[in-house]
Amino acid sequence: MSEQWKHEKWAQDIWYRGKVTRRSIVGWGGGAIGAMMLVPAPWRAAFGAAKPYKIGSEQPLSGAGAAGGKTSIIGLQMAADRINASGGINGRPIELVIVDDETSPAVARQKVTKMVQDDAIDVHVGGFLSNICLACMPFWQDAKIVNMITVCLDTTLTTSACNRYTFRLHDYAPAQAVAFAPTLTKMGKKWHIVFADYSWGQSTRDAYVAEIKKNGGEVVGTTGIPLGTADMTPFLSKISGDFDGLFGIFFGKDGVTIANQAYDLGLTKKYIWAGDGSISESSNLVAVGNKLDGFTAINRYIPVFDGVLDTPYLHRFFEEGKARLAKVDPSHPLPDKYVQSNYEALNATKVGMEKAKFDSRDDSAKLIEALEGLEVKESDDFPQGDKTLRKDDHQAFLREFIFTIGNGTYHLQQVVDKDKTFVPPACKFQAA
Amino acid sequence: MTTAPLDKTNALETMPMGKSKLSHTAVFWIAFSVVIAVLIAAPLVLPEFWRRFLTEVLIWGLLAMSSDLLIGYTGMISFGHSAFFGLGMYGAAGALLVASPPNLWLAVLFGLAGAAGAALFVAFFSIRLRDIYFAITTLIFSQIFYVIIFTWTAVTGGENGLIFTRPHLSIPFLYDARFTTTTMHWFVLAAVTASYLILRRVTQSPFGMVLQSIRENEARTRAIGYAVERYKMVAVMLSGLFAGLAGVLYAIQNQFAAPDFVYFLTSGDTVIYNVMGGIGTLVGPIVGAGFFQLARELLSRLFGDQFPYLIPLGIVFIVMIIFLPQGLLGFARRWLNR
Repeated sequence: MSEQWKHEKWAQDIWYRGKVTRRSIVGWGGGAIGAMMLVPAPWRAAFGAAKPYKIGSEQPLSGAGAAGGKTSIIGLQMAADRINASGGINGRPIELVIVDDETSPAVARQKVTKMVQDDAIDVHVGGFLSNICLACMPFWQDAKIVNMITVCLDTTLTTSACNRYTFRLHDYAPAQAVAFAPTLTKMGKKWHIVFADYSWGQSTRDAYVAEIKKNGGEVVGTTGIPLGTADMTPFLSKISGDFDGLFGIFFGKDGVTIANQAYDLGLTKKYIWAGDGSISESSNLVAVGNKLDGFTAINRYIPVFDGVLDTPYLHRFFEEGKARLAKVDPSHPLPDKYVQSNYEALNATKVGMEKAKFDSRDDSAKLIEALEGLEVKESDDFPQGDKTLRKDDHQAFLREFIFTIGNGTYHLQQVVDKDKTFVPPACKFQAA
Repeated sequence: MTTAPLDKTNALETMPMGKSKLSHTAVFWIAFSVVIAVLIAAPLVLPEFWRRFLTEVLIWGLLAMSSDLLIGYTGMISFGHSAFFGLGMYGAAGALLVASPPNLWLAVLFGLAGAAGAALFVAFFSIRLRDIYFAITTLIFSQIFYVIIFTWTAVTGGENGLIFTRPHLSIPFLYDARFTTTTMHWFVLAAVTASYLILRRVTQSPFGMVLQSIRENEARTRAIGYAVERYKMVAVMLSGLFAGLAGVLYAIQNQFAAPDFVYFLTSGDTVIYNVMGGIGTLVGPIVGAGFFQLARELLSRLFGDQFPYLIPLGIVFIVMIIFLPQGLLGFARRWLNR
């Protein structure tokens, strides 16, 4: 019979010998709690006793932004693997919950709702396209979840549209303009700016116009080119006149287009050619060959080891990033600023969670407090360098690299210390 | 002895129960009440995500239903509904950013005014056109609005769009409280239900009959003396107004307005919802929107977030066009009437 086992001696010993008393429950219960407290955190993580932190990340994995989104994930996974290998955060492992926003704000809003309601994420670390970051910002505030932006560049994220729950550990256009303008005005006094004609391009243009003027230079004209324009020749052929340098503000495939077409029209020989570092990301350099030679730009990360960049941290970050990218992209691209900012953003979130003794998203207020004013030092967690996450607007300041392109590769010209990139805060947080 | 024409509806309605089937009208109102009751109760039992999901389905359904007035009843395929939806959204956003504290009814008013303005503009230039020419003209107008919104950063926020605070749900002197997902759902449900009843009344009115006559034979409608252009103008404006209301509701629900919604793909989705649900039924497009959104959500849950759900959905769409040309509602109706 199926119930016969109950009459066996071993079963009698286990189940029927003695009584379950209050004293035995208190005794055994206390002992169990004590034992759990004594077990070291890495053990708990290793044996799965600890509940993982769920880190949400919204990224464009399909649609126009897919290439950048897939690169970003490499940075996140690198950081997550390192964190888990070293015992997790507060002794608990982390689990990435990555959703594809399909490069659409409407889809992004649905997906982040799902992340919060169904997946019960504790923190969000992600966001690639500025319009999507902006569309989701009220949501993070309503959900009271800390949102660490990893790529979105738009200035307003930490100025007019700022909110208490959102942080940005990477640079923004006003800080880069402050860092780059003194060099630009030494290279030439009169500039013409050609830019991607939409919000990021326009706000970056405004930042450079102001800083070039502040440094004694002049912007004599600007040309806006609609985003995604395949043939920029009609716009570029109208650029002429008495100025010293041409300054470009583009990213992605528009960066490749401007590099090719400005070169073909002879503009890069006629004028000093400079611009935003996004034009010369490593993936773009492969596509334009030597046509960007002589281009001077600014960026927070370049995959070279000249001078101060020859650090063990950058070497290790580069090698691991390169190996991981090779697995997902047959063109074997080098790690870029998207890998770097995702990697460091998750590491900074970890530092904040440890400092705040963060347990769950109910502790978001403590995490905000821990992240505000956070100072991090150059290390394996932050190979790019030291950073300050300003309390007033949750915007980070970090060192910038000015470089030129020669023979299809980067040549470091100058390192601008983070203290020389400061811009006054322009954010008013809503009252809680 | 005088004879009056038989009013079938009344005759059926007055027949004693049990001896005959319920009248069509009675069946309609019973089904309507049940559906509304279910939709009212839904947020009380559904988890948070599905609550929001259902609310969004209703909003997209309202947009699709508004375009059904043109596609299904007037025979004019519009690819301009993204413009009406977007202008409604941006109108509401403008009001919510300007007014302090943000006011719900002002947002609705500004949104409807924005959509009505756009609809008037589009209608003025396109009502003399038919078929593919009308469709292409509305498509071009929606793209013009898109480019203006995308590049006029100072006013529209450009690619970033506008973000704003959600207004309180307020009835002057009576009620004032923050929206919750449940009250938001009820507010949207009330707006969609009212819109449906108004559009149903419109389509059953003599005006609606003329629209259907234009759909069937425009030349003959004109020949018997109707000012076809005027009817088409009112139809486009009415349709645009309800599309604008959908935009307002979306803006209030999500607290942002973005140029992506003005892009013609939104109009394309609207036409797809119509075809899937059933053209010329008003409710069908809501069913179509629900079917599309639910299928997308379930596919991505079943096969992972990066599953290319558009491929199976595209196949389903083609199969439906071949085997269910009347859409889901048309099929259900035929099945029920067997």
